[in-house]
Amino acid sequence: MIPQFFGNADAPLYGVYLPPKATPRDAGVVLCYPFGQEYMRAHRAYRQLALLLSKKGYHVLRFDYRGTGDSSGDIEDGVTAQDWIDDVGLAVNELRESTGVSSIAVVGLRLGALIAGVACAARNDIDQLIVWDPILDGFEYEHELLQEISNEKPSMWGGPSSGNLHDTEGSIHFNGFRLTQKFRESMRKLSLRDARPTTVKKILQAVSHEAPGFTDLKAAWQSHPGYRYQLAPAPHDWNYVDNFGGILLPQPVIQAIVNAMD
Amino acid sequence: MKERALRIGKPTPLIGIASEPDNFNPDLPAVLILNSGVMHHVGTCRLSVKIARAIADKGLLVVRFDFSGIGDSEPRRGALSFEESSIAETREVMDYLQKTRGISQFILYGLCSGADASYCTGLADERVVGMMKIDPYCYRTWQYSLRYYVPLLFHMDRWQSFLSKKIARVVGGKKDKAPNEIAGVDEQYFEVPTYTRRFPPRDQVAEGLRKLVARDVSVFVAFTGGEPEYLYLNQYRQSFRDVDFRNLLRVDYYPEANHIITQLDYQPRIVAGIADWVLNVARGRIANPDANKTAAA
Repeated sequence: MIPQFFGNADAPLYGVYLPPKATPRDAGVVLCYPFGQEYMRAHRAYRQLALLLSKKGYHVLRFDYRGTGDSSGDIEDGVTAQDWIDDVGLAVNELRESTGVSSIAVVGLRLGALIAGVACAARNDIDQLIVWDPILDGFEYEHELLQEISNEKPSMWGGPSSGNLHDTEGSIHFNGFRLTQKFRESMRKLSLRDARPTTVKKILQAVSHEAPGFTDLKAAWQSHPGYRYQLAPAPHDWNYVDNFGGILLPQPVIQAIVNAMD
Repeated sequence: MKERALRIGKPTPLIGIASEPDNFNPDLPAVLILNSGVMHHVGTCRLSVKIARAIADKGLLVVRFDFSGIGDSEPRRGALSFEESSIAETREVMDYLQKTRGISQFILYGLCSGADASYCTGLADERVVGMMKIDPYCYRTWQYSLRYYVPLLFHMDRWQSFLSKKIARVVGGKKDKAPNEIAGVDEQYFEVPTYTRRFPPRDQVAEGLRKLVARDVSVFVAFTGGEPEYLYLNQYRQSFRDVDFRNLLRVDYYPEANHIITQLDYQPRIVAGIADWVLNVARGRIANPDANKTAAA
């Protein structure tokens, strides 16, 4: 694993490049993380996915959007969802230029799938898009988080609360991370249903469970000649927080994605 | 402040990020931020990043890195337990910084298992001059018992729950649920740290703390409301009445915060508190690098 900073020197992004561990292909994969606690919990699964892809000969780059992970800044610095879409572009360019690969695939999980999908639709140089348990649009994601907050039960016996709330400035506090009003406004403009990744040759919608939204996206995208839908049943609660630091490793989906990369 | 990715050691490097202050001074201690459980070096709720940047802005070099097999560091071959490898790898990072940057004093930060690794490394390596630990080893006092058991009397549901657990353990040999069972996730899809946290006997830790005090190591311990074994601010001092901390100990208690501090309103307070404490310790060290009698409390 080769950790590196790339992109704008004033606001660098952090990524980890994994070179091929088999006969190198002329192809690279960019992995786009989900947001917040889901990012923390998905790190292990992404590391494993990257490793399996590298064993198939792919160049792999997983990276942190600005204001997240090890990348510069903070989401409170006025970061928008469009910035993250731009960051996907920077990561794609970085992988292409640093390795010289001709073909690029982009994988995104949850909010990362929405960001990746919109980013790929705006470009004409992406060969494959894989959306894993995708968030369909910004409204849906906001609704999901707000619903979780309103359903939250008070902690038993007066212990500390989660701190999840919707504050007076319009930010959502969720499991230790903040989704600012500015970010939310920009995120609401994003929709996978409306995104038309027509120049992408292959699309895989990999899902760990059935959900109405996944079916909606399937309906919107299935006319694409390279579209495929795959159900790989696996646990999917990326927001689960405990005191043990337990994290998900949903092997069936990881394997489905790796298999789709043949 | 600038940040740089590090690869420390061969053939399987430890991956880390150095937060470098604008005016680097090798006479000041560097701060190492250790993993908590299997969370990578970004830290729970990105706290390690926030702490590292806040400290670097005050002029100290900070490195947050992943132990082998965690986060971005690949597993290393060998038969060392986590308890052993965490000490060895923290020392390896200290060696690296001593060799490449001329730093000879270090302050360690860790939460939960990271706190345990900080303590154990501090005992093993005299270059450690300070340690900041969140939810470290702690021990009950009579006041703890009072605060824990008396409220039980007024809450029948808690009392019933307490008794039923005790009875189930005695009668049925009932064990605590595994983390994956609590999460409701099949074991094969759920990873938990290999490190099983067990508090050493109190006397053993008291002895260790006396050794640290004898070396003038500054210690900052903070407890959250997520640590069920800790119930009030002075519990730490009272549980170690037989240790004369002089002015080397600071204790904070954040009862409204949970173990991984998801409360966003709390985070800045904690980050600022740690950065200020680290700066005070560092200033004390640079003012008196040999005897190091000055410390923050």
